[in-house]
Amino acid sequence: MPRRDDLTTILVIGSGPIVIGQACEFDYSGTQACRVLRDDGYRVVLVNSNPATIMTDPDFADRTYIEPLTPEVLARIIERERPDAVLPTLGGQTGLNLAMALYEQGLIGRPGTPEMIGADAEAIATAEDRERFKEAMVEIGLDVPRSGIAHDVATAVAVADDVGLPVIIRPAYILGGRGTGIAVTTDEVVRLAAIGLAASPIGEILVEESIAGWKEFELEVMRDRADNCVVVCSIENVDPMGVHTGDSITVAPAQTLTDVEYQQMRDDAFACIRRVGVETGGSNVQFALDPVTGRQVIIEMNPRVSRSSALASKATGFPIAKIAARLAVGYTLDEIQNDVTGVTPACFEPTIDYVVTKVPRWAFEKLPGTSGVLGTQMQSVGEVMAIGRTFPESLQKALRSLEQGRAGLNCDAAERQLAARVTDELLVAVATPTPDRIFQLGELLRRGVTVDDLNAACRIDAWFLDQLLAIVEERGALEEHSGPDELATREWRRAKRLGFSDVQLAHLWSVSEVAVRTARQACGVEPTYKTVDTCAPSSPPRRRTTTRRGRTRARSVRRTARASSFSARAPTASARASSSTTAASTPASPCARPASRRS
Amino acid sequence: MINCNPETVSTDYDTSDRLYFEPLTQEDVLHVIAAETAAAGGVPPKVIVALGGQTPLKLASLIPPQLVAGTAAASIDLAEDREKWNALCHELQIPQPPGGTATDLEDALDIVSGIGFPVLVRPSYVLGGRAMQIVHDVNQLATAMAELAGFGSLGREGGLSAERPVLIDRFLASAVEVDVDAVRDHTGEVLIGGVMEHVEEAGVHSGDSACAIPPPTLAPWVVEVIAAYTAAIAERLDVRGLINVQYAVVGTTVYVIEANPRASRTVPFVAKATGVPLAKVATRVMLGATLAELRAEGLLVESALRDHVAVKEAVLPFSRFPEVDPALGPEMRSTGEVMGIDATFGRAFYKAELAAGNPLPADGTVFLSLADPDKPAGLVVAKRLRQLGLGVVATQGTADYLARFGQGVDEVVAKVSEGAGKTAVDLIAAGEVTFVVNTPQGRGGRTDGEQIRKAATLHRIANVTTVDAALAAVQGLLEQRGHPIAVRSLQEHHAP
Repeated sequence: MPRRDDLTTILVIGSGPIVIGQACEFDYSGTQACRVLRDDGYRVVLVNSNPATIMTDPDFADRTYIEPLTPEVLARIIERERPDAVLPTLGGQTGLNLAMALYEQGLIGRPGTPEMIGADAEAIATAEDRERFKEAMVEIGLDVPRSGIAHDVATAVAVADDVGLPVIIRPAYILGGRGTGIAVTTDEVVRLAAIGLAASPIGEILVEESIAGWKEFELEVMRDRADNCVVVCSIENVDPMGVHTGDSITVAPAQTLTDVEYQQMRDDAFACIRRVGVETGGSNVQFALDPVTGRQVIIEMNPRVSRSSALASKATGFPIAKIAARLAVGYTLDEIQNDVTGVTPACFEPTIDYVVTKVPRWAFEKLPGTSGVLGTQMQSVGEVMAIGRTFPESLQKALRSLEQGRAGLNCDAAERQLAARVTDELLVAVATPTPDRIFQLGELLRRGVTVDDLNAACRIDAWFLDQLLAIVEERGALEEHSGPDELATREWRRAKRLGFSDVQLAHLWSVSEVAVRTARQACGVEPTYKTVDTCAPSSPPRRRTTTRRGRTRARSVRRTARASSFSARAPTASARASSSTTAASTPASPCARPASRRS
Repeated sequence: MINCNPETVSTDYDTSDRLYFEPLTQEDVLHVIAAETAAAGGVPPKVIVALGGQTPLKLASLIPPQLVAGTAAASIDLAEDREKWNALCHELQIPQPPGGTATDLEDALDIVSGIGFPVLVRPSYVLGGRAMQIVHDVNQLATAMAELAGFGSLGREGGLSAERPVLIDRFLASAVEVDVDAVRDHTGEVLIGGVMEHVEEAGVHSGDSACAIPPPTLAPWVVEVIAAYTAAIAERLDVRGLINVQYAVVGTTVYVIEANPRASRTVPFVAKATGVPLAKVATRVMLGATLAELRAEGLLVESALRDHVAVKEAVLPFSRFPEVDPALGPEMRSTGEVMGIDATFGRAFYKAELAAGNPLPADGTVFLSLADPDKPAGLVVAKRLRQLGLGVVATQGTADYLARFGQGVDEVVAKVSEGAGKTAVDLIAAGEVTFVVNTPQGRGGRTDGEQIRKAATLHRIANVTTVDAALAAVQGLLEQRGHPIAVRSLQEHHAP
């Protein structure tokens, strides 16, 4: 099913200003969409109110409107430009909400009006209305948290009694979790229900069994008109449920799932996108897993390109927004070529043999009066991503990317801030998610607190804590040396593999960064950069087949090195996503699994 | 391209030939330079540091100077180093607000004894006016210096030192702030990209202030003086590429506040408003092209700013932080921005507010509560609101002042702190007002206003916290009244 020729003009809705919960990831997705739609010969009309975006560069669309994103203004643009279709799934929650308002006013998605492509009104409503979503999931046999909806405070209290405290209160149709909170007492239910009802544009809240402390996962899924589905990437939240995904340190691929658990999640995600009815595009499906019982529930689904899909695209080299735009105009996954390999179609699921870590960046220091405690409402203003051969390497790289004066998990001037705090107090502190928690955990491990005790205190999976311990132990080993000249090549490599920068080592030994670099280079230890190739280097991309044969390396194709590169300081750590000492590590899906196709 | 932010277009693999997802630290940048040098057979790459804000600028002095494309690291230092910058302005005879640098309270007191309060206190080399504050007396100064030296978020980055002193300047109250983005090439030609006038007066961080292009109230000759100053500063700094200069205009005196030889936050806004692709032009200039060549090539076009006005408005995160006072100040807190573009300033402002989620009211009642210096302008705001047929309620002080000039109000509300009678917070909570104008007092006594502003944010009632924004709002309402919102594409606005 190739490109649709019945469409000429397509209206793309942008996401408006950067706000917490909606940053420039939607500029990225919208820019990609404009590019591919124009490459495919469509006339693109773009509307966005944010001038500080690439997409509003007038070169990216045939008509660029920098106008307020309100239904009234959109109606006037539609009247002027007469688009054949509206693509609302690339402009974040703003684009989706606006499209639904236009649909309700009968301006799009009805006979004689522009068609909604990407996701139709029915699919959007099914995914966005929490009660409908829950019913739909129960209908197809997926487990969901127990809950009920309320339009007033009294009902909220009754539902809370029914499902049992603590409960989580979420307003319907909101952005980035605004107005969401966890209530432990009935008084808190009353207070939070009132806030939630006020925050919801339709005055509706969901009162739900709290699954705080469970492990949280996301799958980025895509589906085409022929019902092919792929998982682009699995993402695991280091912070357990209770912290908004946008405020969580996250890792791709998922690290602590068993293969059985992962396959179950993949099947459930496909069932979800099919039931919701996203026919041509990408969705983000979120799951929670009870670490004690193994019970797995589906939490929510975004029927659109999301913040996580930007991360997944960058992490895997699989451009979700670009492919979503092409699916929306009729292509199927097997017709779209993977830009990076140049030989495989987009129905091959990407595989990665490295670890990607995202760490959010907050700005609490600018907002005096805020508690700095993380919760179900997103508060971060940005994020960084780092790629490494191991989780410790990618984590430490991400922490120093934050530009908040930290050089990594430890070994910097800022670490002494924690030195004055007593262990018992820190153990209490790590129960509360804050931007500093990761550093507090590192400090506690350094003081000899065990992984099990920390797991009990903060409920972060023991596997991640054990990885932090690897960093802490390496720091201890490095401290045994009195200076950079004592290190052998093997020791340099080990330090680098665990993500230690020259700045950290300089701090550790009280020498200059230049001295560290000189000594390291004298040992011949230099970074190498590898291409993000969507397919683990050890398993070359193959034509659509599951047979594993041939080891020809898929070297870069039409242009040189089009994908991002990352440093792999450890040539020995080849095809392992990460190493594990206490828990099972599951690399992403095997390379080139063929698309799931339903008859 | 080196960047570590996964959200951006810059980290799309389609945007560059090679993309490095690495931390922006000296170690990583040097490694990437080495890798690229090896890949190019020993020819090192040029490095562009002027398009990524403050982050790459800080790295500029840490990489080999001959690799930096465009303005030299020494020029960046000339603009950042307070002593050298002062000497440069002195030599050019461009007025600056009086001030100095201090590393401790004693230095600070010395400076203040020469220039008097209020003063603007800010750390050098920080982003977004972090920890910048307006200080009115010795106690506040002592607190501010202690905070800056302390082990807070700045302390974490190294604290105070001779290399990282505190800048203390006389605060120019009621000044009009102006931002200029310009490009200079190696022949010395300077292109003034845009002169933007801030809606909010000096004291509100430029990133949090609304601004308009072309300047709606500045006298044309003042704009010419600003352009001449900008060209002279760019020449003196030997800029090759973009420069942003900030000014404060008091009466007809133009003070220069600071210059940054790099792309500023306003470059995209100026480009969209004028149709001149400033960042593209500047990049070519950094790599050696002249403005004349780019003009001949067709990349550098004439500004299309003839029959429209563009207004940029900041978008603030306060609805997520109801515990924070949303009054604007010298520290930047906005997360994003929107633009309104239309035939007049008022209409463009109206659109910008609508786009920012702060829609100006078509009907209903407006609550007014003004600090003393804002009352004359507030009188005009009240009159215009009446012309528009809107209701007005006010606090006692504001109502008394308005009555003195024959401007009655519909209702006088009690002070929140008095604890008796209906207050503005009650009105807002009950949904009885559609718009809130509440300007903070210069010092102290902020609690009442703070509660009102917080209530407006919590209940999502459109509000402004400066009288300048209130004046712009009534102008917008008057000009928009009775007209549907007109839409026009940038391609039409930019057409020659």
